[in-house]
Amino acid sequence: MATSDWLVAFEKTAAAIGAWDPAAAATLDALEAVRLEFLGRSGRLTEALKGLKDLPLEDRKLHGPKAQAARADLEERLARRRAELESRGDRSLEDAGVDATLPAPPQLRGRLHPLTLMAAEMTGILRLMGFSVAEGPLVETDWYNFGALNIPEHHPARDMQDTFYLKDLPRLLRTHTSPVQIRTMEKTKPPLKIICPGRVFRHDQVDATHSAVFHQVEGLAVDRGVTFADLKGTLEVFMKTLLGPSTRIRFRPSYFPFTEPSAEVDVNCLLCGGKGCPVCKQSGWLELLGAGVVNPAVLKAVGLDPEEWSGYAFGIGIERLAIMKYRIPDIRYFYENDLRFLGQFDESVL
Amino acid sequence: MKASYNWLKERLALEWSAEELAGRLPSVGIEVAGIEKRGPVFTGVVTAEVLTKVKHPNADRLSLCQVSDGAKTYSVVCGAPNVAAGQKVPFARVGAVLPGGKLSKAKIRGVESEGMICSTKELALEGDASGIMVLDPSTKAGQDFAALLGGSDTILDVEITPNRPDLMSHLGLCREIATCFGVPFKESAETALQEDASLRSLPVEILSAGDCPRYVGRLIDGVRVGESPDWIKDKLAAVGLRPINNVVDVTNLILMDTGQPLHAFDADLLANGRIIVRPARPGERLLALDGKDYALTEGLLVIADYAKPVAIAGVMGGQATSVTASTKRVFLESAAFIPAAVRKSSQSLRLRSDSSARFERGCDVEAAAWASRQAAALIASLSGGSARVSPALDIYPGRKDPFPIRATAARVNAILGTAFPAEEVEKTIRAIAAKTDQEGDVLVVTPPSWRRDLATPWDLAEETARILGYDRIPSSVGTSPLKPTEELRSHSLAHRARARLAALGLHEACTYDFISEKHAALLEVTEDQWVRLANPLTEDWVVLRPSLLPGLLQSLRRNIERQAESVRLFEVGKTYLRDGSAVREHSHLAGVLYGPLSPAHWKASKDKAGLFEAKALLADLLAGVTGLTWTADDPAGTFAGSGLLLPGSRLTVSAGGAPLARLGILHPKLARAWEVDREQPAYFELDLERLAAASAGPRTFRAMSSFPSSWRDLSVVVRSDVPYADIEAAVAGLKLPALDSVGLVDVYAGKGVADGCRSLSLRFVFLLPDRTLKDAEVAAGVEKVLAELKKRFGAELRK
Repeated sequence: MATSDWLVAFEKTAAAIGAWDPAAAATLDALEAVRLEFLGRSGRLTEALKGLKDLPLEDRKLHGPKAQAARADLEERLARRRAELESRGDRSLEDAGVDATLPAPPQLRGRLHPLTLMAAEMTGILRLMGFSVAEGPLVETDWYNFGALNIPEHHPARDMQDTFYLKDLPRLLRTHTSPVQIRTMEKTKPPLKIICPGRVFRHDQVDATHSAVFHQVEGLAVDRGVTFADLKGTLEVFMKTLLGPSTRIRFRPSYFPFTEPSAEVDVNCLLCGGKGCPVCKQSGWLELLGAGVVNPAVLKAVGLDPEEWSGYAFGIGIERLAIMKYRIPDIRYFYENDLRFLGQFDESVL
Repeated sequence: MKASYNWLKERLALEWSAEELAGRLPSVGIEVAGIEKRGPVFTGVVTAEVLTKVKHPNADRLSLCQVSDGAKTYSVVCGAPNVAAGQKVPFARVGAVLPGGKLSKAKIRGVESEGMICSTKELALEGDASGIMVLDPSTKAGQDFAALLGGSDTILDVEITPNRPDLMSHLGLCREIATCFGVPFKESAETALQEDASLRSLPVEILSAGDCPRYVGRLIDGVRVGESPDWIKDKLAAVGLRPINNVVDVTNLILMDTGQPLHAFDADLLANGRIIVRPARPGERLLALDGKDYALTEGLLVIADYAKPVAIAGVMGGQATSVTASTKRVFLESAAFIPAAVRKSSQSLRLRSDSSARFERGCDVEAAAWASRQAAALIASLSGGSARVSPALDIYPGRKDPFPIRATAARVNAILGTAFPAEEVEKTIRAIAAKTDQEGDVLVVTPPSWRRDLATPWDLAEETARILGYDRIPSSVGTSPLKPTEELRSHSLAHRARARLAALGLHEACTYDFISEKHAALLEVTEDQWVRLANPLTEDWVVLRPSLLPGLLQSLRRNIERQAESVRLFEVGKTYLRDGSAVREHSHLAGVLYGPLSPAHWKASKDKAGLFEAKALLADLLAGVTGLTWTADDPAGTFAGSGLLLPGSRLTVSAGGAPLARLGILHPKLARAWEVDREQPAYFELDLERLAAASAGPRTFRAMSSFPSSWRDLSVVVRSDVPYADIEAAVAGLKLPALDSVGLVDVYAGKGVADGCRSLSLRFVFLLPDRTLKDAEVAAGVEKVLAELKKRFGAELRK
């Protein structure tokens, strides 16, 4: 190539570079286009620099530095503009016209039922305390639900638990989770520590405080030398873990055919902390569960010698605990499955 | 049971108020359900005489009276029509506190009234409230009216546990309070009984000795039946009983006092003048005192005369032989019946009474003779000395000596985990025992006759703990070593499935196990598989659910009624099917999907619930299960009812050939039946037991290729009736070593695709674990696939 031709082309390129206004490149893409135009593999300035080698030495010495200076100038201006554009990246959102205050779509997260949450919490604690989970059928025989639990036919204690019976079959719907105690003791020799979370049935008209279907967590420990004091200590640890370390519990004498001695266990009112309020009827205490030392008649029913083995048992209503914990005014809410109810629990990570 | 505080104080030197007593009873196991004040609740009301009555100057219906309380005369406006000069009336002076508030001076139609003549209503008393109360003319003016009516009382509504029938009387409660709290106990004054040896009881024959261990009969001749005196009526009213006549009232009074049920017959109405305790015979009936005619089931224990039953033993007497105003001779029964016999009667006849409530739990057999004497003495004294009382005929075939309990203080402490000093334990036990003998360390304890609940050392441990206080038992966490607990697979699997579905956007529901026969029929389960309740609460709750579907649809409907647009619910629960004489319970998981995935939102998908949403959920839930297949058929027998899902929209998921789950669009007939048919709900159900039996691949690391993959998208046109699954299976059948995955990226039918055909855009991803693929290898793979699809399905590349 003749020097004159090269020079014409170069002067044109240099003028274009000189005329280029970096502010005109509004985006990084536009800036890259400018770089490619001049400094790309076959860019205008690149071609000029490549063309230098074909010029006579004199001309090369004369024009080479001019071409190098043009490149340095362009590269410097490109770099400065790049830094500018990159530093205002956040403004490019605004530039794109996004209204960031538009509502985000809801994340489709389902919820576990509050009774499941409550049962899982209780089961989790009790498992750490050495209890294994056991299950049993909901349709039971008279023997497992009553007879083996020291409630023979015509025993007035049957009035404590109104029962659903099946038609044409000698079966009933279990009125408590205690049959699982019997089934477990029949299969497994002590020592044993089990819990049975599950559904139970009572022939009760449904209203705000009664449900024909509800849930319990049953606990049973059988070993040599198990005492009432062990029951007390176990329930204290359990309740304090479940409801908080400041929880206080109280044992009152009561009667269940399958335990002797028997107790009703109260915790200090979750609402008023024990000062007295309408929920605890000003007593400061809430009745929470029934418990006791396993009646020797129950041990005998499964072939265990009550002189060798002893145990304790307890049963907690899951609904009752959930009602107190979440302050739910009506037990029927648990079974209506209104999404506005179900969505309230397990809401916050706090 | 209702207990009168005043009545309790007849035997107890109580220093506590009724409220204090109520506060202490729960600590020994007696719950107090309620406390109720009785008696006059007013002060400042005196008896007074109406001296004069004139018409009110400014009102036709009012009168102006001069009333004297003996000390002073008051000018009073009265509105009652029955007020008249000369009457003795209750008069509230200014300042009196009445149930309605404090009385102040008032001007009524321009005339000042210095008090008020009261009606029963204003004093919160029983009786006619149409006018003022008019008192007996002999009443002296100026007496405090509240004191005249008798002092106030407090009634405790105590809840007695079934093991303590002995507490269902005032005597029993007094004994308990005395024993547990050390309150001094005094026997109440007995009415002296004069027996007339020349008079004989009616003969009594016990044919059912096993059910009637004791029968004490007594004849009372020359009875004057009439109204009871006020003190008896007041006591009965205090515990909620209505007075009948003096004889019946005495039996009720003794029942409430001692706990021994009694019955009085009109002796002259008993056929042949004899009593027989026997089982009811076929076809026998009795018109009972409650006015109802009972058909007596054969074998129920009855009291009969020579001809017919006259009472349901221990439950209720008959109307025909009851004591009435014309009764002259009374036969008084004080018996003991065994709990099971009385319970059988009261349950089969659905008839309960104060008597049956006590016999069912067990009465004190020893009390029968003593209660009879008490009642007879009282009846005689109320008959004004005209009555003669026969000696008791006491037939006692079932006498049993109480069984002594052998226990040591150490044994009691071992049960409780306590270290009570031996003397303290022994002292406590002695306080409840009828008799104790010491044999070395061993205490031989004979319980009192009314404590049949005491039989073992455990019972004595409970008594010790109860009396010494449960709060004195220490807390221990046991000494046995902590052992690892076992996971129950069915329980933990159900819990993981729940958590997974909640994470996938479904809310967990919890529904009842009961459904109606109408709904059961819709589920296409044959009636011989229904598990029916014998005693359902309502006709909507007759059958135990054979499927979770009804409960979920019920919940869905409720949410639709509450304007929910988008509902995603699932439940984990038991289903029930009858199989001959067995009931099969299955653990199921089911879900219902309705409406768009989320409520209307500018950024959210508008897709409605459907088969593919259900399929996606189950695919995630079952991810990792080995040998999973999805088939469009619906093998019968796995799940209740085969027609629940819309034909053509249903799938069955199996693992290793065993069906695990099914899913699809709910059949419109069911959607209509539950009124959830505005949108098409999708439904899925899964058998958790079958899932537990399936296996999953190893949960260990699988290496990822570090070389790049190559992918090709191909659109092939095939007949529309070729299932996609067949195409996928055909590709898989080639077993191309470099083919990593096949995906379907688009389905198209319409312009450019022949009628009856569709275009499937498939994405083939090729990948090798150990090197980069060459283009030629990928091209060769694609060729093989195309050739296979052409051969098998006539597939052509879309132009």
